Amino acid sequence: MINIENLIVRFDNAEVLQSINLDIPEGTWSCLVGPNGAGKTTLLRTMLGMQPYSGSIKYNDREIAKNKSLNIAFVPQRPSIPAAMSVAEYVMLGRAKLDGWGKESAHSRNIVHEMLEATQLLGMQSQLVNTLSGGEMQRVLIARALVQEPEVMLLDEPTSALDLHHQISVLNKVEEIKATGVTIISTMHDITLGAMYAERIIIMQSGRVLLDGESHAVIHSPELRSAFDDRISVHQLENGRPVIIAAKRELTI
Amino acid sequence: MFKRFTRPTALLVAALLLAPLSPVSAASTATKYPLIISSGGYSTTIAKKPTRIISLSPSATESLFEIGAGKQVLAVDSYSNYPKSAPITDLSAFEPNVEAIIALKPDLVVLSVDAMKSMVVKEALEKLKIPVLMEKAPETLAQAYKEIEVLGEVTDHTSEAKKVTFKMAALIKSIINRTKKTVKITFFHELDNTLYSVTSDTFIGKVYKDFGLINIADKAAGADSYGYPQLSAEYLLKADPDVIFLADAEYGESAATVKARAGWSGITAVTKKNVFALPNDIPSRWGPRLVDFYRYVAACLTKVKK
Amino acid sequence: MKQNQIDRVWRWQITASAAAALLIACLLGVGFGPVNLDFGSIIRTLLGLPNGLENEDRTLLLELRLPRVVLGALVGAALATSGAVYQSVFRNPLADPYLLGVASGAGLGATIAITNGGGDLHALLPIFAFLGGVLAVAATFLVAGRLFADPSTLLLAGIAVGSFATAFQTYLQQRNSAALRPVYSWILGELTVANWDVVKWAGFYILIALAVLIRISKVLDALMLSDEEAYSLGVSPQKIRMIAVAAATLATATAVSASGLIGFVGIVVPHLVRGLTKRATNRSLLSIAFVGAAFLVIADLGARTLLSPAELPIGVITAFVGAPFFLFVLRARNRGSQ
Repeated sequence: MINIENLIVRFDNAEVLQSINLDIPEGTWSCLVGPNGAGKTTLLRTMLGMQPYSGSIKYNDREIAKNKSLNIAFVPQRPSIPAAMSVAEYVMLGRAKLDGWGKESAHSRNIVHEMLEATQLLGMQSQLVNTLSGGEMQRVLIARALVQEPEVMLLDEPTSALDLHHQISVLNKVEEIKATGVTIISTMHDITLGAMYAERIIIMQSGRVLLDGESHAVIHSPELRSAFDDRISVHQLENGRPVIIAAKRELTI
Repeated sequence: MFKRFTRPTALLVAALLLAPLSPVSAASTATKYPLIISSGGYSTTIAKKPTRIISLSPSATESLFEIGAGKQVLAVDSYSNYPKSAPITDLSAFEPNVEAIIALKPDLVVLSVDAMKSMVVKEALEKLKIPVLMEKAPETLAQAYKEIEVLGEVTDHTSEAKKVTFKMAALIKSIINRTKKTVKITFFHELDNTLYSVTSDTFIGKVYKDFGLINIADKAAGADSYGYPQLSAEYLLKADPDVIFLADAEYGESAATVKARAGWSGITAVTKKNVFALPNDIPSRWGPRLVDFYRYVAACLTKVKK
Repeated sequence: MKQNQIDRVWRWQITASAAAALLIACLLGVGFGPVNLDFGSIIRTLLGLPNGLENEDRTLLLELRLPRVVLGALVGAALATSGAVYQSVFRNPLADPYLLGVASGAGLGATIAITNGGGDLHALLPIFAFLGGVLAVAATFLVAGRLFADPSTLLLAGIAVGSFATAFQTYLQQRNSAALRPVYSWILGELTVANWDVVKWAGFYILIALAVLIRISKVLDALMLSDEEAYSLGVSPQKIRMIAVAAATLATATAVSASGLIGFVGIVVPHLVRGLTKRATNRSLLSIAFVGAAFLVIADLGARTLLSPAELPIGVITAFVGAPFFLFVLRARNRGSQ
């Protein structure tokens, strides 16, 4: 269980996160939505320990800033792609959390092998990461995060650079991961997709949480529309699935 | 009958026998080894008379041969092209290669202070028990004579060296006296076609000064602490020198190329055809051929039309 | 290796081979030159056994050749390792150890020493050069604005600082033409006339810097990932970058003070090792150090023997090897990204 209480983060005297309160149950998938600048990525970075903050972020009642043992993995939106590193070597870096840097146990070499197989990357294990397509790179990033055997996995816009086919396969994969008990928090600009997979949605705007709760309820809430300045409209398909699309504002003269 | 000749004969024999003992003979000025001598700002200890000398200074090479020590010279650097009989090699005077020097097994090395890393090279050679005589470019004639005399003492040709320097001094004096003009002549000594020149602080500058010439580069003395300022073309045109000496003839400059430069055709030196190309090497050799430099300048001055 | 395992990322055998290469290079280095020495005698002399070299040959080996080879090895290791570290920190495979203005700063320091220092120039010069190098890097960080500025800002700041230092140096040389030759001599480096004094002070700083770099080499791999990923794996990338850049600067500034500007070693050797081992990990740093040392010792051997008795500046040799190598790396990258 992740408990965030009264979290405040400041950049140059401006409050980028203003008194955030959230409870995220273990093994759930929460999706952070909101316009740009809402503070979604800042919240993720703070959970990683990259930002000083006031308030508390606890995982199973232990403050994560003080307790470095929380195994939390991050899948970035845009990776920094090192030249001339093979897929296998890149994914192996994830084992540093458990093995320590510069050591690879035989067990780790097994795990990486398994993971590459599970993400259909085994065939390109010797290929250089800077030659991969967007979809392949995304799978590599997820594989690297997975070999860490994390308790919590953060994904920053995991689908933004992908075509529809790859978006679905990545999100299916994340769902499988969640099924093993990993707590997932993702930011997504495509709320429709987010609603399809995540059981919880957290709406953020201007450093605040407007609403958080079960997906279906949040989707149909007035807070969602106001977070986007009423520029979205929510519809429902025949099977009950919500679709959120941009709404063109009528010109009123 | 023979009694009549015995006294003059005896006197003759005595004279012949005693001649070597006279004060100006070589034997009494023979160098005593081991010798501790100061040269180029450094002190050198020479254990015995050197017979396998490596000279890495073209000026020193000329001096060594002039004072009669040529037989003691084992090898000279690649720039030591005078005299022709000097044993020239590929050794570099400016970037001495310690190992290459050692391989020849010299018992004395003459090295220029201006050579690359000269101090460290000296230390390295001395570590291998090879004495090193340092040569510094002289700033006055007296210093130039001293260097020749030091070489004389080092190679046990002290009196020859003294003769050489006396002769040089006498010749130079007579050349100057013959040529010195009362009319003020201005000149420009060109080191290269980007108009680097020499001031009267330099050795070359002083040679010209001995002739009473006026150096237009002296006004730019503040531009370089060492005496080698770069003049601007505008200043040159304004100064309008009467004579131009070209030290860059070996790089293609001549009276014709100078005349062709933009704006130069109006300079007095050009219009009066007083542009003289200095012969290669001679201005930079401070050995016995210094006299040739003076001769050459004198010859130019006699041709100068004002 | 079992069927369902990934290959090892690094093997100790690779490092051992690199060390062996260095040993062989050093033997060749002390054996050849305008005077050739017999290998057997060399080894016996070094081990203190009887029947070693005598008199001038012995002095030649111990006072001239050996310090030169040791200095070459130290400088080669310093430049290669710094280059590799800079390539990791700046995520730029074409980064070299002179990036942040170290070389220009050291040159300016040396020129100031030569044009102003009276007395014992020989002792002062390395200190001035070293300070110049280190201060230039500090200036680069100041100009970049923040201590943890991003790589491209730092690069541009380094270019700015370097240009300024070079301009000032040129001005000083113009006003003091007597300094031209000593400065040029300094730029050519001390390898040709190395003695044990130079080896001592250069070795001291270079070995400290290398020790730090090799100690953090494993963690440097975290810089291959985005900052967030690095944090998730327990590493503060900014802290590591700072330590890495500081140590690499120390090594480079010392190398430049001792050996002048020797190019290409810092770029070529890391790529050589990474290309041969097909690994990008920074665990290769120790091997890169060994190979860099061997590379420079062999290059110096070439400088000493190819045009004997004249000496080729060692920068010429490294350039002759480095330039075509550059092209090779560029083509390989192009092919890879197709």
